[in-house]
Amino acid sequence: MSNVEYLDVFIDESQEHLQLINNSLLELENQPNNLSLVSEVFRSAHTLKGMAATMGYEDLSHLTHTMENVLDAIRNEQLEPDDKVMDAVFGSVDDLEAMIEDIASGGDGKRDIEQAVQQLELALNGEVPEVPNQTANATSETEAMLEVGTVLDEGFDQFEMTVLTQSQEQGFTVYQLKIELDENTMLKAARVFMVFEILENMGEVIKSTPPVDQLEEENFDNEFVVTLLTKEPGTELEQSIRNVSEIDNVQMIEINVNELKAGLGQQESAATETAVLEKSVPTKKQPASSPDQKVEDSGSSDQQPKKSDINKTIRVNIERLDVLMNLFEELVIDRGRLEQISSELNNSELNETVERMSRISGDLQEIILNMRMMPVEQVFNRFPRMVRSLSKDLGKQINLTIHGAETELDRTIIDEIGDPLVHLLRNSIDHGIEKPEVRRNLGKSEEGQVELRAYHSGNNVFIEIEDDGAGINKDKVIQKALTNGVVTEEEIEKMSDQQIFSLLFASGFSTAEEVTDVSGRGVGLDVVRSTFESLGGIVEVDSELGKGSIFSIQLPLTLSIIDVMLVEVQTEKYAIPLSSIVETAIVNKEDVYSAHNQKVIDFRGKVVPLIFLQDTFDVQEAGQHDEYYSLVLVNKGEKMAGLVVDSLIGQHDIVLKSLGSYLTNVFAISGATILGDGQVALIVDTNALIK
Amino acid sequence: MSSVLIVDDAAFMRMMIKDILEKNGFEVAGEAANGEEAVTLYKEANPDLVTMDITMPDKDGLEALKEIKGIDPEAKVIMCSAMGQQSMVIEAIQMGAKDFIVKPFQSDRVLEAINKVMA
Amino acid sequence: MEVTETTASQDLKVIVFQLKDEEYAIEVDYVQSIERMQTVTRIPKVSPYIIGVMNLRGIITPVIDLRKRFGIEEKKYDETTRILVLSKDNIELGLIVDSANDVIDIPAEKIEPTPEVVGSVEEEYLRGVIKLDRRLFTLLNLDKVLHDKQS
Repeated sequence: MSNVEYLDVFIDESQEHLQLINNSLLELENQPNNLSLVSEVFRSAHTLKGMAATMGYEDLSHLTHTMENVLDAIRNEQLEPDDKVMDAVFGSVDDLEAMIEDIASGGDGKRDIEQAVQQLELALNGEVPEVPNQTANATSETEAMLEVGTVLDEGFDQFEMTVLTQSQEQGFTVYQLKIELDENTMLKAARVFMVFEILENMGEVIKSTPPVDQLEEENFDNEFVVTLLTKEPGTELEQSIRNVSEIDNVQMIEINVNELKAGLGQQESAATETAVLEKSVPTKKQPASSPDQKVEDSGSSDQQPKKSDINKTIRVNIERLDVLMNLFEELVIDRGRLEQISSELNNSELNETVERMSRISGDLQEIILNMRMMPVEQVFNRFPRMVRSLSKDLGKQINLTIHGAETELDRTIIDEIGDPLVHLLRNSIDHGIEKPEVRRNLGKSEEGQVELRAYHSGNNVFIEIEDDGAGINKDKVIQKALTNGVVTEEEIEKMSDQQIFSLLFASGFSTAEEVTDVSGRGVGLDVVRSTFESLGGIVEVDSELGKGSIFSIQLPLTLSIIDVMLVEVQTEKYAIPLSSIVETAIVNKEDVYSAHNQKVIDFRGKVVPLIFLQDTFDVQEAGQHDEYYSLVLVNKGEKMAGLVVDSLIGQHDIVLKSLGSYLTNVFAISGATILGDGQVALIVDTNALIK
Repeated sequence: MSSVLIVDDAAFMRMMIKDILEKNGFEVAGEAANGEEAVTLYKEANPDLVTMDITMPDKDGLEALKEIKGIDPEAKVIMCSAMGQQSMVIEAIQMGAKDFIVKPFQSDRVLEAINKVMA
Repeated sequence: MEVTETTASQDLKVIVFQLKDEEYAIEVDYVQSIERMQTVTRIPKVSPYIIGVMNLRGIITPVIDLRKRFGIEEKKYDETTRILVLSKDNIELGLIVDSANDVIDIPAEKIEPTPEVVGSVEEEYLRGVIKLDRRLFTLLNLDKVLHDKQS
């Protein structure tokens, strides 16, 4: 059986379980007495172990197994989940994550887990135990037994003989059975239990070698010998036992008690008889007694809060969704074409049908887009761990609260925002939150608060990271921006506080020399900004010195289909995303003024500079001019500009397509789309146009 | 053709068992991700056989086994256990489980168990 | 560059195309399709030889004019003009050429290193020359063309 086909599911589910483990462990730190959390972790670890073993990832299953032991001890209140214990568990979770990651990227999941295992064992026992050698003495015992047992000529003492004789007189047959388990049998005691159940249903076991308590402890190799009194026919007996799984072989002989008697020595004393008697009486019940104790603890593990998350879902490969999306995009293009044709033909039935089709495809679009939506939780849920270890490293106390983790975003965006968010969080923790003693001196609580929020508003999702730390020192920012030549003094004078803070994101602002271990990593915040911008997002920052900072990211809900205003510049068509448009307007050329060599208009009392797309994009003159300017007013944060075009064609849903990897960094063009007539229109990146 | 209800909280495990079953001519009557679903599905589908994971959220395999046995004393249930769950397996057998298989599953072991139980 | 070494010992199947009065060759493996001239949307502020992008069955494909790229005098596009659509390493690119004639097999030993001077085309874009039955083809260095740094 090839395991490859299960790999995807394995990886997916393992990651889910690891996440669950992470979350529950973090909660457990806050509520160390909540044993239901331990049970949850235990269960996930357990499932993980089973899957890993099935896939043949030995290190993974070994480590989860060791972790399970620790969790079990916590669950049974034999072990206090103190810091040391939690660190050991978290440490091994790190290893588990690394292994899964390795497997996900095509590795064999092998890893040196000795240290993690040792830590766990240290946490469990207070010392590193030597490899338990329990099997060694067990085998020596069994070996001795088997020497006797192999030929089934097991001896009986006098008491046993008495029992046998009486039984035979009562019409019982005596059988001796040698039962061999498959050498790969894994729960041997359970197997033995099954055999005994059958035997005891059919008769009475009067002797077992090794004795039942040894069998229960699995102190035997693969075989054992029992003597049974029964009235059932021998063939049926043998068949019943053979029908138990993992029984390799059953050898059975009928014992003639009279023959045995003849050969029996007379040396047994009365003392031995009673000793044997005491021993053999409980035999029958013994296998059942030990499970009884355990029933209780398995029962207690079930008293967890009932968390009902039974959603009927199916897993769909993301590639299939991408294909679906692509096909739908083709449909949208044809829909555009159809709309155009129908408006030209002006046939009412056609119009009606096309309208209906457009409506349905609109609904379809929503469904398809929704299918691609995933909660930001996917990204957020790794942050608590990160914050925990980071605050430990930095000697800070931090309480991270997360709101709106259920907020959904297109999966393509989800995939991209993890790293930049990590960067911002690290930034808040490293530079924002002060050390506990500093905070105390400032009259703040020693524990710094970092809040991560996500919420949905209009066509956007906002993600905000707020801290109650030191805030941004405006003067320092200005000084550094000037030193690094990011801005000039004149520019600074015109800038609002917010704009000054935003200089943090300017390329060239961060210099390598002050890169710290934590938030540095050699990448500046400018990379964070450009990542978000490439997703159609906007990053802003606000801060109050001494009180804290707030980083705010605005992201589009989905990437592929966007609402645009199609415009014409001479004979060329461009698409301007509606998300950046404030409004459209038509102004008389006489209402345009010149200020500092820049054409501006007075738009509701605000001076707005004009950008002539014909000039900016070097569009060839085709002689299309009238006395009005068609304007598309766009904004970038606080700033506004009027894009001058020749005509406004109208609002359209378009499918955003990349220009391909040959072209990189095309000025002020963020992509392209295919119009209804099959022609390509470029999508204007208005952010690049507003300075 | 015998129909089997697969109960396991891990989709991965269900997929694995399902695959083994389907390759060997069994019909999968349904899949349940926890004990609760298992009991409901048992009533609906009335399968010839159940493979029952022990550790599951909401309602574990032992509870589900008990309920299924309550509904149908003749129900044939094979427990799916992991190493270290010996006592629960024994308990399950006392409660009437017909056999058990231990993860990691070997497909011939799974088939052996099923064939023996169905015999 | 690796391509040169790994394929040098093997026979090559190439598409032959024409620019002005010279014949060029390109490995057929990387030619996804040969298209007639079609509408290309201009992209502002890019190198002049990048004509724009076209809609190739739903995929936006950049198109460059090889004459312009090699500094050969311009010529109006006509009936014989073809766009060779290349696809390699996730990069798709259309090359406008005067005409694309045929596909031929070239024995490896017929490929010779580029002579010091070959017309006006920058040497780095060429992989070698092929002499076959009195015809002379210049073999294009595909990697160089696809990973052209835009100025």
